[in-house]
Amino acid sequence: MTAFRDIVGILSALAIPALMLFFLVYGAMKKVKVYEAAVEGAKEGFGVAVKIIPYLVLMLVAIAVFRASGALDVLIAVLRPVTTLIGFPPEALPMAFMRPLSGSGSLGVMTETMKVHGPDSFIGMLVSTLYGSTETTFYVLAVYFGSVGIKNTRHALPTV
Amino acid sequence: MLNKIWLALVVTGILTAAGRDIYEAATNAYGNGVAWRLEPDELSAVAGPGRYQMNLSFSEAQVREHFPHAAEPRGAAILPATITMHDAARGSVVLQLDDKAPAVFTTVGVAQGAKGTLSGQLAVTQSGADRICMLTFEPVHFVYLKRVTNAAFEAAGTAVQIAIGLIGIMALWLGVMKVAEEAGLIALLARAVRPITVRLFPDIPHDHPAVGAMLMNISANMLGLGNAATPFGLKAMEELNKVNPRAGTASNAMVTFLAMNTSCITLIPATAIAVRVAAGSANPAAIIGTTFLASLTATIVGVTTAKLLQRLRWYRLDDAEAQS
Repeated sequence: MTAFRDIVGILSALAIPALMLFFLVYGAMKKVKVYEAAVEGAKEGFGVAVKIIPYLVLMLVAIAVFRASGALDVLIAVLRPVTTLIGFPPEALPMAFMRPLSGSGSLGVMTETMKVHGPDSFIGMLVSTLYGSTETTFYVLAVYFGSVGIKNTRHALPTV
Repeated sequence: MLNKIWLALVVTGILTAAGRDIYEAATNAYGNGVAWRLEPDELSAVAGPGRYQMNLSFSEAQVREHFPHAAEPRGAAILPATITMHDAARGSVVLQLDDKAPAVFTTVGVAQGAKGTLSGQLAVTQSGADRICMLTFEPVHFVYLKRVTNAAFEAAGTAVQIAIGLIGIMALWLGVMKVAEEAGLIALLARAVRPITVRLFPDIPHDHPAVGAMLMNISANMLGLGNAATPFGLKAMEELNKVNPRAGTASNAMVTFLAMNTSCITLIPATAIAVRVAAGSANPAAIIGTTFLASLTATIVGVTTAKLLQRLRWYRLDDAEAQS
């Protein structure tokens, strides 16, 4: 376990510099005009980032409204008996619901929960695993689909 | 569909906020118009018009009695106060709130419109030898609806900041990737993972640039390199859209890719580990194993579900649907 941890630690520190070095040197060896090609690619970045603004604004506003209203507390109160039945501690429910909605929100929930229950308690382990193992799903869906103008998302987000 | 989810988030949010405000108004949860009886000894210095600085204390019992229905934690508080007496009997009070102040005080302060302070009116009367000092906070209304309004405006600003911040990182990574693409490296990588991609994404040409971008995105996610992952992910979507015959409708490959992306197998949950270190964990990296298992399970479930759902009549892509 420790060896594995060391390996992944080194990997994450070296990944970006190594990747850049490898890509650029490989490109130069293949006689690509590296700087000109990079500029050509970089020009696309602006367009994509600007294009996602409306999708990002509307999705983040909806999530912010939902969060600020305290609707999450109501949802948690309703679902508490069900999750308790399967042994999921209710203290971790805010995390489970916040994580797909908001990155900063779930970071706050994780910090707060660990402060109360301790990072090495079962609840502390559970919330940090929840945080580490998924993405802010709604943000990703809005931004990724928005960037290419997809309106019909089909089964990416099944609703009744 | 995002339409329904979006509408549901906004409508549930506003209706819940309105409902809670009505409930709190009905129960007077924030004690509007209810006076606090202050300890006269603490106000012994207050005599006649003028400005005074002192500490005022509120016992836990007092706070609980004043806010019987508030959702926030309630506890005792000693707060620095500025008292401005207009005459011998009437004055105004501004309490300074710090991190240790009960959360319900902060809520009322924010609802009054000032961050970090809480204001009220002071009435001093003399009853025989006793001096009675009564403090009434400025009334607050629509706490949740105000919060919702502020949150909406704040989020709109944050969204633009995120997008602007993305411009730089997008430009950098798309630039580096373009070099690799022109050198033929991306095609080479795509060929290396071909046994996997032909099964996961049967609809896209196996040496298409989309495969390379998806590969880069998933690898960056695995290593916890969040801000390198987004540019590759958006690039992958762009490439996938080039081979999507139905503009505006998600292709099977897009949905499968997003299922992999959002559940992504994680080797290094970098942020979670950092927060655990900050929280004083004895073994912050203990979650690497659990996170790996959880995300592996999520990916298997996600991809399987995507593959199953795409066959359902409801979601299936056929020509009749494409025309309608």
